[in-house]
Amino acid sequence: MTTPPLPPDVGPRPTGPSPRGTLAAERTALAWRRSALALLAGSVAAGRLLSVPWGPGGWAVTAVGAVLAVVMLHAARRRLTASRLAAPVRARPWSGRRPPRGAAPPPGGRLVTACAATLVLLGGAAVVVVLTWPS
Amino acid sequence: MSAPPTPDRRFPRWVYRAGAEPDARFSLANERTFLAWARTALALLAGGVALEALDLPVEERLRLAAAVLLVVLGVLTPVLAWLGWARAERAMRRGDPLPAPLGFVVLVTGVAAAGVLVLVGLLLV
Repeated sequence: MTTPPLPPDVGPRPTGPSPRGTLAAERTALAWRRSALALLAGSVAAGRLLSVPWGPGGWAVTAVGAVLAVVMLHAARRRLTASRLAAPVRARPWSGRRPPRGAAPPPGGRLVTACAATLVLLGGAAVVVVLTWPS
Repeated sequence: MSAPPTPDRRFPRWVYRAGAEPDARFSLANERTFLAWARTALALLAGGVALEALDLPVEERLRLAAAVLLVVLGVLTPVLAWLGWARAERAMRRGDPLPAPLGFVVLVTGVAAAGVLVLVGLLLV
């Protein structure tokens, strides 16, 4: 595998994480936060609309969406601490060496998968709303 | 960098057992791309539901067709987004070129078609 070397302003610095790495982590945290907010708004709307055909049971979708939104907000914070991975000490938590304080391993795809699955669930709710809406 | 002493248990396995850890910023960018798709899916769902629920002055069958089309796209988009995220992450770990983006053709065609349906439906009323 050949990875081209990073330009000097991008790579880890002797004194701390590169600004670009920190900013990338910040953008990612913000992306998770606004997605969590959008998901929360969407699932509240879905619950309200589903309670027309289904009664109070429709709010179950809201509960799922709200739980995931809270998890996503937590994940946003994790993404920020993950920016310390760009720190000069290249110790990764799974490498056996002591990780830098507060660093988290790149978290893998569980949350991404949960997010996609919840959106499919919301999509199912939207299908029900569209097909059962009294016109 | 030495290989991790314990096998990588992150999910999904077919992504994380391939290749080596990429630069963390590439993974972050990949996540942001996924999230942008996720919000697109939410917007599609909101659009489809709003078409029906807001009682817009659009011919009824065309309105329903457009709403169903948008909602179906909204269900499809997160699936494609997940696949796109996983394929990109895997390609980055292996040092392969990034795969072509998934779903652009479907998304653009579908949204355009829904727009045409609404437009015609508006003119028919």
